[in-house]
Amino acid sequence: MPPFELNTDISNRRDLQSSDLTPYDALYLGNPYCRDYEANFLERVDELAEAIRQVKGAGRRAYVTTYAAPRNSFLDQIRRVLEVAEREGADAVEAHNLGVLRICRTECPGLPVFVGGFANVYTDVGARVLLDSGARRLTPNYELSLEEIGLLARNTGAEVELLVHGKMPLGISDYCFLLEYEKAWGIPCPSLCQQDLYLRQGDWAMKSVGKGVLSGRDVCMLEHLPALWAAGYRTFRLTALSERPAYRAEVGAVYRAALTGAAAGGGAFPEAWWEVIRRHSRIGLCNGFYFGQSGQAYVPARQEVGA
Amino acid sequence: MSERQWRGELLAPGGSVAMVEAAVANGADAIYVGPRGWSRRRDAYELGDEEIHQCLEVAHAGSARLRAAFNTHPQSSEVPALLRKVERLAGLGIDGLIMTDVGCIAEVSRRFPGIPIHASIGANILNNEDIRFYREIGVTQVVADTKLTLRELSSRKHDLEVGIEILVHANKCYTYLGKCWMSPYHRFERAVDEFGKDLFRGSPNRGGLDYRVCLEAWSLYSGETRWEEQVALKNDAFFLVDDIPKLLDLGVHCLKVQGREYPVELVGGMIRFYREMIDAYLTDRTTFSLPAWKARLAGLRVERDRERTQGTQALLDEARLPVLATPGGCSR
Repeated sequence: MPPFELNTDISNRRDLQSSDLTPYDALYLGNPYCRDYEANFLERVDELAEAIRQVKGAGRRAYVTTYAAPRNSFLDQIRRVLEVAEREGADAVEAHNLGVLRICRTECPGLPVFVGGFANVYTDVGARVLLDSGARRLTPNYELSLEEIGLLARNTGAEVELLVHGKMPLGISDYCFLLEYEKAWGIPCPSLCQQDLYLRQGDWAMKSVGKGVLSGRDVCMLEHLPALWAAGYRTFRLTALSERPAYRAEVGAVYRAALTGAAAGGGAFPEAWWEVIRRHSRIGLCNGFYFGQSGQAYVPARQEVGA
Repeated sequence: MSERQWRGELLAPGGSVAMVEAAVANGADAIYVGPRGWSRRRDAYELGDEEIHQCLEVAHAGSARLRAAFNTHPQSSEVPALLRKVERLAGLGIDGLIMTDVGCIAEVSRRFPGIPIHASIGANILNNEDIRFYREIGVTQVVADTKLTLRELSSRKHDLEVGIEILVHANKCYTYLGKCWMSPYHRFERAVDEFGKDLFRGSPNRGGLDYRVCLEAWSLYSGETRWEEQVALKNDAFFLVDDIPKLLDLGVHCLKVQGREYPVELVGGMIRFYREMIDAYLTDRTTFSLPAWKARLAGLRVERDRERTQGTQALLDEARLPVLATPGGCSR
């Protein structure tokens, strides 16, 4: 087993079949944004069961995510998903909602639960409440700086997962404004949100996935991995829900190599890696909020890029 | 149903001592204020301890309750200061708190068991299991998300031992409230006040102002091709005038009006309107005429919309300003 976990996320069987999983130790299955997302694992429990078996059969850990903003009407389906996850031996379920965390605790206590990035874990005392409620791993809110995350981790002893690459969530809605253009564009749901669409205004950009709004720039912590490693972080997510399989494979390979290097005490970042990162980033790179700045800012590490 | 049978309250915003006076004078049952640095508004609309003390005297003299809104997520390192602040306000006689952070709620509930805690709309409580979770950590009332339907709300009342608070005069964001980071993604300024509290300017979840960047004139592109020149991420004002009779019949515990940033006269007028409408319905449902009340609201609505539009433009302009206070690093 490697001394770290690099994981990613996949929405449906099509993406799972066409994705090279080599770089990853674990996969989150399902799309948390929308129940109508094309062939969402969270709505097709037979395919979810098959996917869990496939991922585990490939020697990887299978996690099942759940919806980021579940209303009462979602809960029956979430319970079906949890039942499948438990039956098929999923390694964990990701809860973005405290009600779902409660369901896990009370109805399937044997199933490990990770608390996801939409659950608004901002403070150490908040993390403690969630750990006491059964959470095994936490993704702090994306708005937290590394300084704050470090304090939270030290004060609670929680296993923390960090988003290290990909488009960071900026919002979730119950309403898909893309549906207003379904007729005009001649593109129906559920293909609408897969058109690689960006909201732009001057030099600002955000990616739209219908009910979800993502950062236009890709969060990129590549050159900061040695610092993250030194700080004790071992669980990293490369989020690629709205990306093509090539993104998942190629950017994942770069991060796999970089983390392997960081684990061995190395800190080199060949130019070829940056070429891959740049090729897959349409708008540019940012660090999210990790350095206490506006989320779209990019802070370089002290090393020269490509050194 | 008579007036005595509705045990709920009309909750008003208190962005200043004068606004609290106006709210009480115009019939609010309760008012919420933001302790400076700790609530989901610009610091100009928050109050210091002495002002909150004055507000308490005004509210209690008018038989109204005063709540303090700690409706944001602080830093872990700020939690002790938050608890000290709560202790001070408890000493002043605050009637309740409105809170967001699940950990802070649990801590305050444990240390100050006598203070009612309401979970803020920023807690984004969307389903009955959510409500049960918050109930278990000490919350006695929850603010319903603006996207929930009357049917969803009515399903809650009967089997959940918790009060429901409804915004009747507010704006409905494109995103779920408490699950939006668009504003700080574009501009986020770390500024610490004289008490050491980080104001997190640009982050509504953390206490700073929201630049409302969702309301920019966004174009929609696929690659380098512009598909739509202007798209709108819906952010509509909503006024639940039509639903207020049903909400009263349903027995919701609190009808809330937002607007700490509006002029005092406008807030006073808004509260007077809702007070009189509620009382008219409760006094005699047979003669209650909804169209007349909707017509009366129209004037207030125009004034309120004008204030909001001006405020939004100022915020969008501010969002383009360079960030001055930034801890370390540079941007590129």
